[in-house]
Amino acid sequence: MYRTLRVCSSGGGFEALPEPPRPVDLARIRAALEEAHVPVLDARVMLIATLEVEVTISRAGRLLFKTADPAMADRAFGRLRPLLEGGALGGGPAGHD
Amino acid sequence: MARGVMLMSGGIDSPVAMHYLLRQGHELLAVHMDNRPFTDDSPLSKVVDHLTILRERYHQPIRLYVVPHGSTQVTLMRETDRHVGCVLCRRFMWRSAERVAEREGATFLVTGEALGQVASQTLSNMRSATASVHLPIVRPLIGLDKQEIEAVARSIGTYEISTRPGVCCQAVPDKPATRSNLVQILREEERLDVEQIIDDCVRKAVIL
Repeated sequence: MYRTLRVCSSGGGFEALPEPPRPVDLARIRAALEEAHVPVLDARVMLIATLEVEVTISRAGRLLFKTADPAMADRAFGRLRPLLEGGALGGGPAGHD
Repeated sequence: MARGVMLMSGGIDSPVAMHYLLRQGHELLAVHMDNRPFTDDSPLSKVVDHLTILRERYHQPIRLYVVPHGSTQVTLMRETDRHVGCVLCRRFMWRSAERVAEREGATFLVTGEALGQVASQTLSNMRSATASVHLPIVRPLIGLDKQEIEAVARSIGTYEISTRPGVCCQAVPDKPATRSNLVQILREEERLDVEQIIDDCVRKAVIL
């Protein structure tokens, strides 16, 4: 469902898009994140979760990782991807500021 | 000369607009609407760096109000029609700027808006957004095109700051309305406690 992580258009973060386009169940995602004690803000049309980096998860399935560090973005993507594709959140440290 | 409040976004346009008015000798304060967590730190850092240049160039202290706007964005997303999210957001920005102006004895508001660059800058959306305030609004860049604005930004040293990498505001709707009418906007705002939201945000502003 998600193929690649790429630099976002304004260059300050990394984004991943579902291919083909597919909306995500934000309620399920939120519940799973909260169960894993990941801080998450629910803005109804998107979630903002704090993993290793802060990530925005839109209703359309777009992920935006707010970091210029590709390794950090990749780690957070690696954790989130299974959850977004129907499975469970990948292992890793809890979110931090 | 008069005292005004300038909305500063961190983009290319706002420092150029500020430059034009400072050059005329007006006194300005700056207001930055802090959209975190819907963006990163880059807009604020750009605004701070813009003001460093302009303060030195025009020998004005230019006080900066950093007004938290993220919680307002959450409320708008949860409670209102997303298609008019940009207009509603702008109305809260204007109101916050006007509240700061009232506090500081400023008599006008300033923006770097040009016509038609983004959804919020169509005439109908501008009208809907600015109907939320009473102070006159000055738009020094309204007659300039993008290339002209960029040329001025380069000449005053703010272009490179404005174009540093950053994260775009995630609160922008996927399909923002390019036309709106005030009746529709007011109906959306009936769901909100507008005055309380503005009071909370301006009270929590950090002054730099």
